[in-house]
Amino acid sequence: MMSILAPLPVVLPLSIAALLLIFAHLWPARVPDAIATLTALATAAICVLMLQRVATPFTYWFGGWQPANGLTLGIDFVIDRFGAGFGLLVSILFAATFVFAWGYFESVRAHFHVLMLLFMAGMLGFSLTHDLFNMFVWFEVMGVAGFALTGYRLEASALEGGLNFTVMNGIGGYLMLCGIGLIYARAGALDFTALSRAIAVHQGDPVVAAAFCLVVTALLIKAAVVPFQFWLSDAHAVAPSPVSVIFSGSMVSIAIYGIARLYWQVFSADAAIAPIFHRLLLAAGTASTLVGGIMCARQRHVKRLLAFSTISHVGIMILGVALLSADGTAAMMTYLIGHGLVKGALFMTAGILLALCGGIDEIGLRGHGKSIWPAGLAMTTGGLLLAGAPVGIMDAGTHMLDAAASRAGEAWVIAVLFFGSALTGGAMLRVTGRVFLGLGPMQGEETHAPTEQEDERSSRPLWLMLAPCCGLLLLAVAGGETISHVMNQAVPAFINPAQPAPSQAFPKAPHPLVPWLATSLALAIAAWDLSRQYMPRRLRRSADTLMRTFRPLEAAHSGLIGDYVGWLVLGLGIFAAALALG
Amino acid sequence: MPRLRMVLFWCGVLLLIAPIAAVVCDMPRFGDHPLPYGDAINHDAPRDRHVSNTVSAVNFDYRGFDTLGEEFMLVCAVTGAVVLLRGSRGESVTAEPGTLPGRGLPGRSDAAVLISRLMGPFTLLFGFYVVLHATVTPGGGFQGGVVIASGLLLLFMGEGYRGWRRIMRTPWLDVCEGGGALLFALAGLAPMLTGSAFLQNILPYGKFRDMLSGGLMQIENAGVACAVMAGFSLVLLEFLEETREPEHDDT
Repeated sequence: MMSILAPLPVVLPLSIAALLLIFAHLWPARVPDAIATLTALATAAICVLMLQRVATPFTYWFGGWQPANGLTLGIDFVIDRFGAGFGLLVSILFAATFVFAWGYFESVRAHFHVLMLLFMAGMLGFSLTHDLFNMFVWFEVMGVAGFALTGYRLEASALEGGLNFTVMNGIGGYLMLCGIGLIYARAGALDFTALSRAIAVHQGDPVVAAAFCLVVTALLIKAAVVPFQFWLSDAHAVAPSPVSVIFSGSMVSIAIYGIARLYWQVFSADAAIAPIFHRLLLAAGTASTLVGGIMCARQRHVKRLLAFSTISHVGIMILGVALLSADGTAAMMTYLIGHGLVKGALFMTAGILLALCGGIDEIGLRGHGKSIWPAGLAMTTGGLLLAGAPVGIMDAGTHMLDAAASRAGEAWVIAVLFFGSALTGGAMLRVTGRVFLGLGPMQGEETHAPTEQEDERSSRPLWLMLAPCCGLLLLAVAGGETISHVMNQAVPAFINPAQPAPSQAFPKAPHPLVPWLATSLALAIAAWDLSRQYMPRRLRRSADTLMRTFRPLEAAHSGLIGDYVGWLVLGLGIFAAALALG
Repeated sequence: MPRLRMVLFWCGVLLLIAPIAAVVCDMPRFGDHPLPYGDAINHDAPRDRHVSNTVSAVNFDYRGFDTLGEEFMLVCAVTGAVVLLRGSRGESVTAEPGTLPGRGLPGRSDAAVLISRLMGPFTLLFGFYVVLHATVTPGGGFQGGVVIASGLLLLFMGEGYRGWRRIMRTPWLDVCEGGGALLFALAGLAPMLTGSAFLQNILPYGKFRDMLSGGLMQIENAGVACAVMAGFSLVLLEFLEETREPEHDDT
């Protein structure tokens, strides 16, 4: 059964995309919508079936090229519960997005659906493959689809954001290819198992370290980790909202999954890498969480705000990887799934604002959301979940991460997590209060939107857009126990597929009060922003002084690609130097 | 900001010097031959698959799944280019090329027409030759597909925009591109019906150094050739459409 299922998650969407390209111009307009949704649902079903069957990882050799005489000639998928679980998340997000975007993309030749299906196939291939070059192929498929989808609206801002995305990720792809070349020169193999065996022989080899540095930097660019994060807020803010759902929900986090997979299944064989990697990721994760949180709280363009919150949550996931422990990895994966569902739902509510209220500027939309209050309820739920409300998958992930950090002797990570969730959740709740309740009036110049007038086609009723959004939120709220249990079970096979340790239930967080505190802080931040005009003047002024210290941070997000490349080279230099000098 | 940008960049470069030096000193020496993969393929492919172009054997058989990904990456890039260039495009085949005010439209010179008409058919023929001999001599579906597409571009130079546009119909190209990619995917799925693995080569391998050797590789190769030829033609079409005079009924 598994040998039939294994190639299908990738091949099914590819074949359907080719079919749509051939026949779509003959079919009525809604048929591609239906076919694409059904394909995503079928892929989800395949992932569920695989999830049930891969208690021990399943290896599938394409073309029947099993390794012979100690030499690996072919390409393989190794499917474990992490991979199948990630595939399931991707499929569910795509299915929800196709419903959400029902009728939104009117094009005669169904190009939107073709690109989206190829995007989905790329992600599934990336998450299941066990071959470094094959990973690069799917990485590039994702990238190419992403570039085109970002610029889909053909407005100046969309093309600029798309260009920044293309240049940064293009450099990332190039770095990855260089890294693959280096490791192939040393190991003469591309399969993860063969690579890991070769690396174990070459302990402390600078070529291996350089290859690791290049490949991981490429993935850190895709994951938008500080200092590689700049492109994300430009691209996610301008992409059509259905595309942003996928970008923030899974394209960013797939890179983190990739980093964890590459580290555990390939590069952990080199003992020299672990201590430096641990420190670097802790620093980068902390910086991302705080920079993303602070920038998020300062935005008024709702999609840009959500994009910065993604950077913040990516930092939290990176902290989970940085612990380099089984429980940290399980926590990262749980958090990743929860975040994907919640962030997808929140981008859908932003899309609803664009379609039904004709704008995306928080202050310009003040009070405009009253007539679509159900969307406000969805946004509130999402905001509370981001803030760390003690329910659902994200909360389970936070608990696991807190516990893993304390066990690793890095208890300060709990505080970083706390501020990250409070800042992003607070910003989201502030938007909800202003748009849907009409709170927080502004005077003077502030009332005018600084961005160009934006809206999206309102081709579908509210309930059709809200249904997938609520579905995602429901999963995110209800799945906490299940997902954390499955991830705890799955992690031993992920970090050592050859000889998985027996699975264990890791202890939960030491402080049951922390999530309540984070939620309260988020509510306090939102309340402060919305009731500024009633606050004493002195308090307001000191808050403004505090905020002014973050101005350089805002200036660094200049939108100029040259600046971004400067930061990229600096980040790469720091990473490489740290690995080379120990 | 430009100054800060350069400071960041050069700091990064400085930091990169030591690691790069370490890697360069530690690379395999020039002429070293630790290439177990290449040796194994060179030895195995003629024996196991009856093909003399081992690059094709790697592309279509040993690592055929990569090529499937590359194939759809091309489809993706072409579709993306069509989406991003769709600004002022129409399907009308009688349209006039765009002109700048004040600049005349010089007719094509007889020499250009003559050379294009002479070279066009030969280029197409050579393209088909490269496609058909994928498993025997260097080349294959991708290279041949690009040559065919450039042969089709010579038709544009020889026959002018209208003549070219009369031959190149977008729906046909879509069918050819999607159909080629689908053929590759089906070539992978079909062996699964017999209980073999995806892309497993279950067809007879033919005679060594024969044009039809390689079994399933031939079908994958044909799929790639179709998709690449149509993909490149679509991109060329879109670029040329960019120069076309927009019409009122265009959307």
